[in-house]
Amino acid sequence: MAADLPQSHGADAAHAETTGVEHESSGLPQFEFQHWGGQIAYLALLFVVLYLLVARVFTPRMRKVIDGRATSIAEALEAARRVQSEAEGQAKAAAAELAEARGQSQRLAAEARAAAAGEAAERSALEDARVAEHIAKAETRITIMRDKAMGNVAGIADDVTRSIVEKLTGKAPSAADVKAALAGRGAN
Amino acid sequence: MADPIHQFKIETVLDLPDVTLPLIGHVDLAITNSHIAMTIAFAIVVLFLNAVTSKAQVVPGRLQAVGEQLFGLIDNLTDSIIGHEGRKYFPFVFSIFMLILGMNLLGMMLTFTVTSQLAITAALALITFGLVLIIGFVKNGPRFFLLFWPMGAPLAMRPFVGLIEFFSFMLRPITLALRLFGNMMGGHVALKVFAGFVVTLGAMAAGGGLGLLGLPGAALSLSMVVGLTALEFLVAFLQAFVFAVLTCIYLNDVVNLGDAH
Repeated sequence: MAADLPQSHGADAAHAETTGVEHESSGLPQFEFQHWGGQIAYLALLFVVLYLLVARVFTPRMRKVIDGRATSIAEALEAARRVQSEAEGQAKAAAAELAEARGQSQRLAAEARAAAAGEAAERSALEDARVAEHIAKAETRITIMRDKAMGNVAGIADDVTRSIVEKLTGKAPSAADVKAALAGRGAN
Repeated sequence: MADPIHQFKIETVLDLPDVTLPLIGHVDLAITNSHIAMTIAFAIVVLFLNAVTSKAQVVPGRLQAVGEQLFGLIDNLTDSIIGHEGRKYFPFVFSIFMLILGMNLLGMMLTFTVTSQLAITAALALITFGLVLIIGFVKNGPRFFLLFWPMGAPLAMRPFVGLIEFFSFMLRPITLALRLFGNMMGGHVALKVFAGFVVTLGAMAAGGGLGLLGLPGAALSLSMVVGLTALEFLVAFLQAFVFAVLTCIYLNDVVNLGDAH
């Protein structure tokens, strides 16, 4: 570009100088080619310098910062993930412990309940036995008393018989007759 | 004063003796307003990048955040368009992006806009095109011409499609140069025209009488200038970005020749 433009338009430049006023008032100033060479050469120079600065200085510096940031963010994330997994592990362990404790307490409760039930059964059995003994004693006593009462009935019958016969016949029967009559009666 | 084209005039600030170089021929050596603007833009870019990177920290400050945004923008571009080899071409794309952005934005502050000079945009386009050609031939050798041999097209159509591809390829530097040039020049001409209306209609109104009718027009023109200024800032950024995107796309064509198609 810079190679051929000033050459081909060198004549134009000379022309523009002679008819300067007309040239300015007509076309765009951008097409005054005598100014192209200097501008382009200077731009090329600036661009090369800028490119070298960007490529050698600014980009590496920027990359270093951005990569450093990315690394630190990655590290922080990694640490957070590690802590999280640790916390999860701890939570799991705590849950397991809790479950174990619950199981143990349930077992204990069941044992206690069983023990209490056994004791109660034992005690009620004991009580039952005592009550049964009482009942047996009472029955024995009742039997004895009834037997005694039945014995008394024979005496009363003897007396009643003796007095009835005495009233009817006027004389007292012998004890042996009464006994025989009662025994015969009792035998019937 | 009101001539909207006058702002593009190259003014010689310091005339240096012309030189005649063996290959290049007659060169008009002079420091012009264009050189000065380029130097300022270059200095701003370098100072900015230096300020951003010299004391760069893991947790960025405001200036560093801006620099990193620009850096990341172009880095993503080269990475996503060119692929894993993009990092190698990042400095080139970033340099051209920053230089164009600096010159575009400086044009919003100065009376002279470097990127509205066709010489500059053409030079930038040719630098890019030249790099694409060099990389194309160095990386691929004669296989470079496969770029113009569309494998996807039917065999009978390939020469024609290839010819079209070839012309579109050769037109790339021209479109690249004209797009930037046209956008920057058009925007600044429009700004100047509307600003000129403000002055002309305002002067009419100052004369009193019927001239007072010029006031609404002047106000409208002023609001247009405000709006266009905002738009031009957007264009200044966008055109630099578009240049960078197209540079990446053209580089991708030759860097990943064969496997991208």
